[in-house]
Amino acid sequence: MIWLTWRQHRRQVMFTALALAVLAALIVPTGLAMRATYDDKGLADCNWSEPVSDACNMAINQFTNQYESFTLIGILFLVVPLLVGLFWGAPLVTREVEQGTHRLVWTQGISRWRWALVKLGLVGAVTAVLAIGYGLGMSWWWAPLSETNQFARFDPLLFDMQGVVPIGYTAFAVALGVFGGTVWHRMLPAMGITLGGFLVVRITLAVLARPRYAAAETRTFPVATFRGDRVEQVGEWVLARGVRNPDGTLVASDAQVGCPPGSTGPSGGRCGAELGLEPGAYNWQLYQPADRFWPFQWIETGIFLALAALLLYLAVRRIRRIA
Amino acid sequence: MDMVLETDRLGKRYGGMWALRDCSLHLPAGRIAALVGPNGAGKSTLLHLAVGLLRPDAGSVRVFGATPHGNTGVLTDVGFVAQDTPLYRDFTAAELITMGGKLNRRWDAALARDRLAQLGIPPDKPAGKLSGGQRAQVALALALAKRPGLLLLDEPVASLDPLARREFLQSLMGSVAEAGTTVLLSSHLLADLERVCDYLIVLNAARVRLVGGVDDLVAEHRRLIGPRHDGGPIPGVAAVIRASHTDRQSTLLVRVDGTLVDPAWVVQDISLEDLILAYLADGDAQASHEAWGVPA
Repeated sequence: MIWLTWRQHRRQVMFTALALAVLAALIVPTGLAMRATYDDKGLADCNWSEPVSDACNMAINQFTNQYESFTLIGILFLVVPLLVGLFWGAPLVTREVEQGTHRLVWTQGISRWRWALVKLGLVGAVTAVLAIGYGLGMSWWWAPLSETNQFARFDPLLFDMQGVVPIGYTAFAVALGVFGGTVWHRMLPAMGITLGGFLVVRITLAVLARPRYAAAETRTFPVATFRGDRVEQVGEWVLARGVRNPDGTLVASDAQVGCPPGSTGPSGGRCGAELGLEPGAYNWQLYQPADRFWPFQWIETGIFLALAALLLYLAVRRIRRIA
Repeated sequence: MDMVLETDRLGKRYGGMWALRDCSLHLPAGRIAALVGPNGAGKSTLLHLAVGLLRPDAGSVRVFGATPHGNTGVLTDVGFVAQDTPLYRDFTAAELITMGGKLNRRWDAALARDRLAQLGIPPDKPAGKLSGGQRAQVALALALAKRPGLLLLDEPVASLDPLARREFLQSLMGSVAEAGTTVLLSSHLLADLERVCDYLIVLNAARVRLVGGVDDLVAEHRRLIGPRHDGGPIPGVAAVIRASHTDRQSTLLVRVDGTLVDPAWVVQDISLEDLILAYLADGDAQASHEAWGVPA
């Protein structure tokens, strides 16, 4: 059975290895270059939580200008788990049924249960190695960018492409592909359901569930003393911000207002009066602290692994009923 | 007599449609059985139930006395060639034989290699690039290499040209005759099977119409030609299978259970093909008329 699995998928393994090599050829040199620049500019010695020195600010601006476009490349990497699901998960059962070969292999001397176990086990192992390599590689690649706090690793999208979550996403995509293939025995619907299902679940969890894995913390600071300095800690995830009046009503969302002593509004009145701010108004932030990055990674990974396990269980049950 | 395959009121349903219903039959050991019926009659369903690909929705199926679904013990003794003789297209014939060795406890690789060598099938060409006849031969060699007690073949010759058909059936008969293998092969073309089969199962519209040894079946059916018949009992006739009438004359296809003594009837022997056609015509139109909602 192991021989058969290898013989069936060896070409696929080769193409996957080739694709990984291409990605590595992109990641490793750029990652090294990024690190070299980071060290050259002395960014490692800057302290980002205190008021930042001018030299550091200049260095970080230069660094960011140079490597900003890399965030786009990084976002492209988000589709990797999906691609693995489409090209490894969906064809696993579908291709057998489409070509009728399930009737050949399931009428030899081994049970379907064993067939499914070995196939899913080996394909699962390969994709797990793939996902771990991908997750660690991306974490390494991103480290300089996230340390400068220009692109916090906790932010949506950046969170999704590093650490351990890619393992969960990949396992889920593969399981969804396999399950889709056991429901619709044609390649195109199986791939379609993998694509659609993956996007829906991923986006739903990222947007609705992830901010609530733990109760968010609140930070307030008065408008009257705020000078526009950075108040967020390095690496934290700000979910919402705004300005509230003393009675708690939200006056402006997605904004922070500072009225240092002696400042006035555009028309010369009291600072903030045009916005409807009353004396004693305060800025407000809802955030997840930076040290929750890894707990959140594990929670999200766990959810996706659990979904993957459920889908595989259902898939194996369905495999027993395909003729 | 040993029964290799037994079914008892066996049924399989897809959604609300019965693909096979109330199927009760026995296949004795050592027979070469033809499973005949039009497309969609339930032939593949019956074979899939027998090889354990499907689980029955009603009744039971037993192969060598055991339930085949999810039973690898039965699979060891059953060789199966599915419709369109599916093979992994990128595997060579040699690799397919290796695969069989990995997946079966009992595997006669030498037998498969000998067969394919004799037939002149290249060992290193991907199965997808072989001709239909060659693919069918490879699939048959794989099934025979299990040295099965029961060989199930689903429309093995349907996609072959007449010459390849004859070659395939000849080589099949050659190899099963020595081993005493029981064979059940399905086809919607009777002419292919008439020469090689000694047992017959006729399926139509999900039901078994006729089961038995070919010689017995032919012996117990007659064509009667005589004056117009009103449907009354005829001495020596157990059942009228099919009747056609002109103004003055009736032609009856009957099953006999005694001697026909009435001199009014001209008695003729019938061919196997006529017999099967008579049983297939029966009940076919009824369902269709119901489905279309028109009077029969």
